[in-house]
Amino acid sequence: MSDTGFDHEWHLSELLDTHSLSRVGPALGELLGGDVAVLDHDETLLCGLLAPDARREPVILELEPIGFVASRTASPATLSAGARMLTAVLRAELRFKMASTLHLEAVAEDFESLKREHARLLESEARYRRLSEELEARVQAQVAELEERQQMLYEAEKLASVGQLAAGMAHEINNPLGFVRSNLSTFKTYLGKFAELKGRLAEGEVAWQALDLDFLLEDGDDLLTESASGIDRIARIVSDLKSFSNIDRPTDEYADLNNCLRHAASVMETQLPPGISLTLDLLPLPSMVCLPGHLNQLFFNLIRNAVQAIQDANRPGVVRISSFADDDGITIRVHDDGKGMSAEQCARAFQPFYTTRTVGMGAGLGLTTARNIVLAHSGRIDIESTPNVGTTVTICFPTTT
Amino acid sequence: MPERDNNSLTFKLVYYGPAQSGKTTNLLRLHDLLAPELKGELMTMETKDDRTLFFDLLPLGFRAPSGLLLKFRLFTVPGQVAHDGTRKAVLSRADGIVFVADSDRAQETNNGESFQSMAENCHRVGLDFEQLPLVVEFNKCDLPTAVPESEIRERWSSAPWPLVFTVAINGTGVEAAFETLLRAVYRRHADSLELATVHDLSEDAFVVGALGRK
Repeated sequence: MSDTGFDHEWHLSELLDTHSLSRVGPALGELLGGDVAVLDHDETLLCGLLAPDARREPVILELEPIGFVASRTASPATLSAGARMLTAVLRAELRFKMASTLHLEAVAEDFESLKREHARLLESEARYRRLSEELEARVQAQVAELEERQQMLYEAEKLASVGQLAAGMAHEINNPLGFVRSNLSTFKTYLGKFAELKGRLAEGEVAWQALDLDFLLEDGDDLLTESASGIDRIARIVSDLKSFSNIDRPTDEYADLNNCLRHAASVMETQLPPGISLTLDLLPLPSMVCLPGHLNQLFFNLIRNAVQAIQDANRPGVVRISSFADDDGITIRVHDDGKGMSAEQCARAFQPFYTTRTVGMGAGLGLTTARNIVLAHSGRIDIESTPNVGTTVTICFPTTT
Repeated sequence: MPERDNNSLTFKLVYYGPAQSGKTTNLLRLHDLLAPELKGELMTMETKDDRTLFFDLLPLGFRAPSGLLLKFRLFTVPGQVAHDGTRKAVLSRADGIVFVADSDRAQETNNGESFQSMAENCHRVGLDFEQLPLVVEFNKCDLPTAVPESEIRERWSSAPWPLVFTVAINGTGVEAAFETLLRAVYRRHADSLELATVHDLSEDAFVVGALGRK
C-alpha cells in the first residue's frame, strides 16, 4: 500500500513521536522497575537503554509485531502487562492517525469533486451564455428581416394606391381628351367649308347660305368653348395631382390641413361612383408643421375607405369631412353612413395585414399606414363604428404654441 | 496490485454497499468464524448509532509454504450517501470488492445507486473496474420482504460477477462470499505474483490458508 495513505502499515515511530515517547517511555520504565527499552519492528532502539540480556515482548497491532518492549529487570508477567499497555496506547493512536489521515484524503477527494463540478458548471454556464447570445442574434436577425418585409409591404401598398389613383386619373383625363379631340376634328371640317367659300365668293350671299355657314360659325364657337373647358379640366386634375403628391415639396413645412383635405377630396371627387357624394365642413385651422404629401395620402386613404364602406353597403350615401380647432389642437373627422364595422373588426382595424377584403383587394395596411402617419405627426387616431350605420374616424393633432 | 514488501504480500479487500446493508456485520462474523494462522482484532469506527464513520478493518494472514506471508486487510466503507469522499479514499488501491446489497425490495434503488457510484468511484481512483475481482452479495435474504433469489439471479444473469446470498446477522453465507472473492483474487493475480510456481500455493491452498480451515 502507499507510504502516505491512511491504509499503509504504520510504524511505531510514526505512531509515537519522540515527544510522546519521552513521556510514555519513562513512565513505562517506572512500572517495569526502572529498566526498559522500546524497539522498532526492525529492532531500532527508540527510547530507553537496551541491556544485552533483556527479555523482549512483541507489540502487535494487526498481524505482525510493529515493535518490542524489552526489560532486563521486569518479570515476564510485568513485561507482558507493559507490552499490553503500550499496545493499547498505540492502538488508540493508530485509530486516530488512520481516521485523521483518511479524513484528509476524503476532504481532498471531496474538494477535487467540487472542483470538477465547478469546472463542469462553468463550462455549462459558458455554453448557455453562448447559446443565449446566438439566440439573441438570431432573434435580432429575424426581427430585422420582418421589419424589412413589412417595409416592403408598406411600399407595395403605397404603390398600389398610387396605381389605383393613376388609373382613376387616366380615366378622368381621357374623357375631356376624347371630346376635345372630336371637337377639333369637327372644327377642321368646318374650316374646309370656309375654304370652299373662297372659290364661290362670286356667288355672294347664295354660297354663304348654301354652305350653311351661319350654323358653322355658331357651332364652331361652341366647339372651341367646350374644348377650352375640357383642357381646363385636365389642367385642374394635373394641378391637383401635383399638390396632392407634393412632388416638389418633400420636407416639413407649414401647411393648412384644410387645403390637404380639399386636395384629397377633389382627387377623390373625380372618381366617385354614382350615388355617393362628399361634403366638406371645414372651419379655419391654424397652420401646422407637417409633411403635406403624407397627410394628403392619409386623408385620401380615409376618404377612399369611407367611399368603399358606402359602396359595400350597396346604397347611396354621403361622406362628411369636417375639421375644427380648439385649445386641444386640430380635430379632423371623416364620417360615412356605410356598412360599418363590428366591435371585433374595430378593435383590429389598425393591426397590420388585417383586412376584410378578399385576397388581392388590399394588403390590410391602409389604416396601419394611416396610423403611422398620424403618429409621426404626434397625433392620435380613433375609430368608432356601428354595423350598418356608419363609421367615424377621428384624428387629433396637438397644436404647438 | 497487491503490495509486496520484503517477504510479505498484502491484499486490500473492500466491502462496499448502500447504508446499513450489513458490511460491518460481515466483518464481525468473519472475525468470529475464520481461524487463519494470523488474525488481528477488528478495528471498528462506529458512531453511537452504529453507523460506520470512517471504516472497519479486519486483518488476516497466513504463511505460504515458501515462507511468503500473505496478508488480507478487509475494509468496509461508510455507506451513507454523504460520505462519498471517504468511500473513494477507502476504495483506492483495492484489490477486490464484495458489494453488499440489501435484499429488501424497498432497497433496490439504493442498491442500484450504490453500485453505480462504486463503478464511477473505481474509475475515479484509477481502478480497472472491468478487471477488478468483484463478488455481489445479497444480504438479508431471509427477510419476508426480500426479493426472491430466482428473480435476482434472472435479473443479474447477463452480469459477469458471481452472486452470493447471505444472512450476515447469523453468519450464513459470509464465508462463502469471502471465499468467492478469494478465488477471484487468486485467479486475477496468481500468475503475476507467481503464487503457484514460486510459492507453491494452489487456489485451494490459498483459500484454506485465508479461511483457516481444512
